Amino acid sequence: MKTSDVIIIGGGLAGLMAAAVAASRKQKVTVLTYGSGSLPLASSAIDFGSLENLPTHHPYKKIGLKSCDAAAKFLLDIAAQANLPYLGSVSKKIPIVTAVGTLKYSALVPESMNASNLANKKKIFVAEIKGLKDFYAKMLADNLKKYFPDKTFEIVKFDLHMLGGRDITCMDAAQLLTDNEQPFANELKALNATVDDAIIIPPILGVAGNFSRDVVQTQIRAQIIETTCLPPSPPGIRLQRAFMKYLQASSVRFFENSKVIRGVTDGRKVTGVVVETVVREKVFPARKVILATGGFYSGGITMRDFDQPREPIFDLPVFFPTGEDFWSNAKLFSDKPQGFSTTGILTNDNLNPIDADGKVLFDNLHVVGANLGGCDKIFERSAGGIAIASAYKGATL
Amino acid sequence: MEKTTVVVIGGGATGLGILRDLSMRGVKALLVEKNDLVNGASSRYHGLLHSGGRYAVKDQEAAKECIIENQIMRKIGKSCVEPCGGMFTRLDIDDPAYEELWVKGCADSGIEATPITLDEAFRLEPRLSRKHVKSAYLVPDAAVDGFRMAWQLIDSSKRYGGQVKTYTEVIGFDSVNGELRGVKVRNQFTGETYEIGCDIAVNAAGGWAAFVGKLAGVEIGVQPDKGTLIAFNQRIVNHVVNRLHKSSDGDIFVPHGSITILGTSSMSVPDPEDTSTSRAEVESLLKIGEQTFEDLRDFRILRTFAGSRPLYIPPGGAVGRSASRGFAIVDHAQDGLKGLFTIVGGKFTTYRLMAEKMCNQICAKLGNNTPCRTAEEPLVEEVSQADIDRAKKFFPSYGVKLAATRLGVDRFKKVVARLESDPESRELVCECENVTRAEVEEICKDDTSFIVNDVRRRTRIGMGTCQGNFCALRAAAIFADMGVESTAKDSLTRMEEFLQGRWKGIRPVLLGRTLRETEMTRSIYELSMNLTEVSPQ
Repeated sequence: MKTSDVIIIGGGLAGLMAAAVAASRKQKVTVLTYGSGSLPLASSAIDFGSLENLPTHHPYKKIGLKSCDAAAKFLLDIAAQANLPYLGSVSKKIPIVTAVGTLKYSALVPESMNASNLANKKKIFVAEIKGLKDFYAKMLADNLKKYFPDKTFEIVKFDLHMLGGRDITCMDAAQLLTDNEQPFANELKALNATVDDAIIIPPILGVAGNFSRDVVQTQIRAQIIETTCLPPSPPGIRLQRAFMKYLQASSVRFFENSKVIRGVTDGRKVTGVVVETVVREKVFPARKVILATGGFYSGGITMRDFDQPREPIFDLPVFFPTGEDFWSNAKLFSDKPQGFSTTGILTNDNLNPIDADGKVLFDNLHVVGANLGGCDKIFERSAGGIAIASAYKGATL
Repeated sequence: MEKTTVVVIGGGATGLGILRDLSMRGVKALLVEKNDLVNGASSRYHGLLHSGGRYAVKDQEAAKECIIENQIMRKIGKSCVEPCGGMFTRLDIDDPAYEELWVKGCADSGIEATPITLDEAFRLEPRLSRKHVKSAYLVPDAAVDGFRMAWQLIDSSKRYGGQVKTYTEVIGFDSVNGELRGVKVRNQFTGETYEIGCDIAVNAAGGWAAFVGKLAGVEIGVQPDKGTLIAFNQRIVNHVVNRLHKSSDGDIFVPHGSITILGTSSMSVPDPEDTSTSRAEVESLLKIGEQTFEDLRDFRILRTFAGSRPLYIPPGGAVGRSASRGFAIVDHAQDGLKGLFTIVGGKFTTYRLMAEKMCNQICAKLGNNTPCRTAEEPLVEEVSQADIDRAKKFFPSYGVKLAATRLGVDRFKKVVARLESDPESRELVCECENVTRAEVEEICKDDTSFIVNDVRRRTRIGMGTCQGNFCALRAAAIFADMGVESTAKDSLTRMEEFLQGRWKGIRPVLLGRTLRETEMTRSIYELSMNLTEVSPQ
């Protein structure tokens, strides 16, 4: 097995970003993934949260603002190359419409979800699509009205003839439209909506880039705005595909279904990782390793017994709040961070894992994404920002 | 003023049993419940239909009642009972002398306890500890679904004219010259108060019986005794597995469909509303449980929950595990209030018998000689094979029978007709429990459906593997579509309330794969849906 310049463990947003950044710098990159990562779950809008007044252990303290800005630019560029235009920057707050009709503000937003102009529209159409699961136009309109009480809302029904033998999700509909957008475009045209109107639809305009949206939007005068949705999320998959396209073009070696079970180390140096295959264990040698295995959701951190979280590959020390009172809040949706979500690995400024005394454990292992500890990324709305910025830094060190 | 003959206070198994019994005997009766039905010990329990083996040494009278009622329940509540059978296992650390007492106790109480070889025990229950289990017996325990039993009791009562008002709290009694005239109640949603005229009222409020008694100025000896239980996401056992030792904490496993419930602890609490659970309680149950099943901690815990047994404490009586599981009926004529009765104590397995005895006294007062028929007549008619076959075209086949037993004959017919004519109604609102949109909408129309949790208890949405991750959004939207507005809450609040309800049981067991589910819940509802809205900074 040839030695990689860098091995990236994990194919979620952080892993893909790290691979793309490393590849862009002419490195020989290997990605080892197990499972699909969290992008199919995600809205694909990237939140940075606040970069000010951060506690000492906050990942942004180690990542730095420079990497945040560079990461944002890099992602915009990768997406644009796949005809998936994004807008925004680290400090921007661009509104998108959620599937339940709330507005959410994100830093980087795919153009198809940009709801900035909603305030200037006169009439807002909300599409209800026959047979499509998980999109409830009435609920969405009722809740969105609270932000725009003086606007006219109208629920419009479309039939894409999707009723089949099983439930139809946004992902199915997006697949259908990828193959043929025109029937939906025709239905939208029949609305005769004007430039003063917006049409809110579930995220079904294709599974790759903006191609389907371009076909439909050029025929319609009103702005079409896609919402978020319950998983699986076509916008998340579009972003995943944009990255994959770039990695393929850059000859990155990408291994799916490859579970890394441990590292090969020599003192403070990682020399490779061991992958478990059906028949045997296989060593992948590397000069540098990026750990992007995620947090509890993706299995980058596990916890079988109370107060004993583990990082299963390198057995790195895991920071966590001790004791039941600090582990979680009485409210699920709380006004303060959830302790368990702050669980993760602490690092130095080079994103090298450190122990409780601050001692660096490995000099060429960099921890990025959701397995970084020290903050509740969901509460802060910083999950995407930390993922891409730490990945950017980890890949450029 | 609204009038009835008997007001039954409390929508647990006992109250519902009384409502059914009275209605079947032709007595006009109305049940009021301050929350949703079976909100107390009638659902916050193991779901164990006792063979009586548990009481064979300590309380043979209770043991005898159990085995008789066990047989009756299998007959009248066929679709609520899973006849999985039970096993008693003695471990190496348990007293062998107790085993002898127990075998004799079972024989004396009429409970068939069949000794089996250890090989046979390990064949039937492969996960039993080879190291610790020393002897095993089979008994006729079974699993029983408290929710389903409750809705079927209601359906049965309604057929005979019985009425139910949920979210209706008793706030006082009206009497003239020591004779009861009516019960004052408050609608929990609107705050409206009114009186229901009646000749007789039965306080069947379980753990809350003392509070209800206080409203009438009478003292009731009831001690709420909190029991904590754990629900695992797998069927760890095939039988109800009991420890063969002096009854103690955490020594019973009950399989229900695809899950297993382990419990319980026993702790006197001042307030029956206290259904809190803690990591310490969970740890202590796991420590005991893993003596019988060594790999217990490798199974995913879905959630934990707690309920209060309403233990009857006669003046000067014992509390906790030593307290009797028997029940008592008090005629408050002795306290100077004619027409008020209290029934307290007992256990789920014998609710029917308790109701029968209570109703015998009421009927004697009313001069009604109709005999009790609750032991003979099945709770609900069985759904016909023809209807099941029709439904199979649209349901995942695993879900058909479950839906049929949940819905009962009439509603099931309506739902199947809807599925036939309206393909959109076939979508699954809850994939974990196979609940269709048609079913959820049908239950939304019910006169006891006010909040999403009410629909959860009837349909099982949100009770499975994902604990509401997907169906919280869907159910709230369906509520909005259907215009269920009794609580005047918006869809976002409904979603939050529903998920918060799930969170309560998840929080003390937040480890292992449950952490993963919770991160997913938060990602969906906080990040993708911005349910807890964050304004631009």
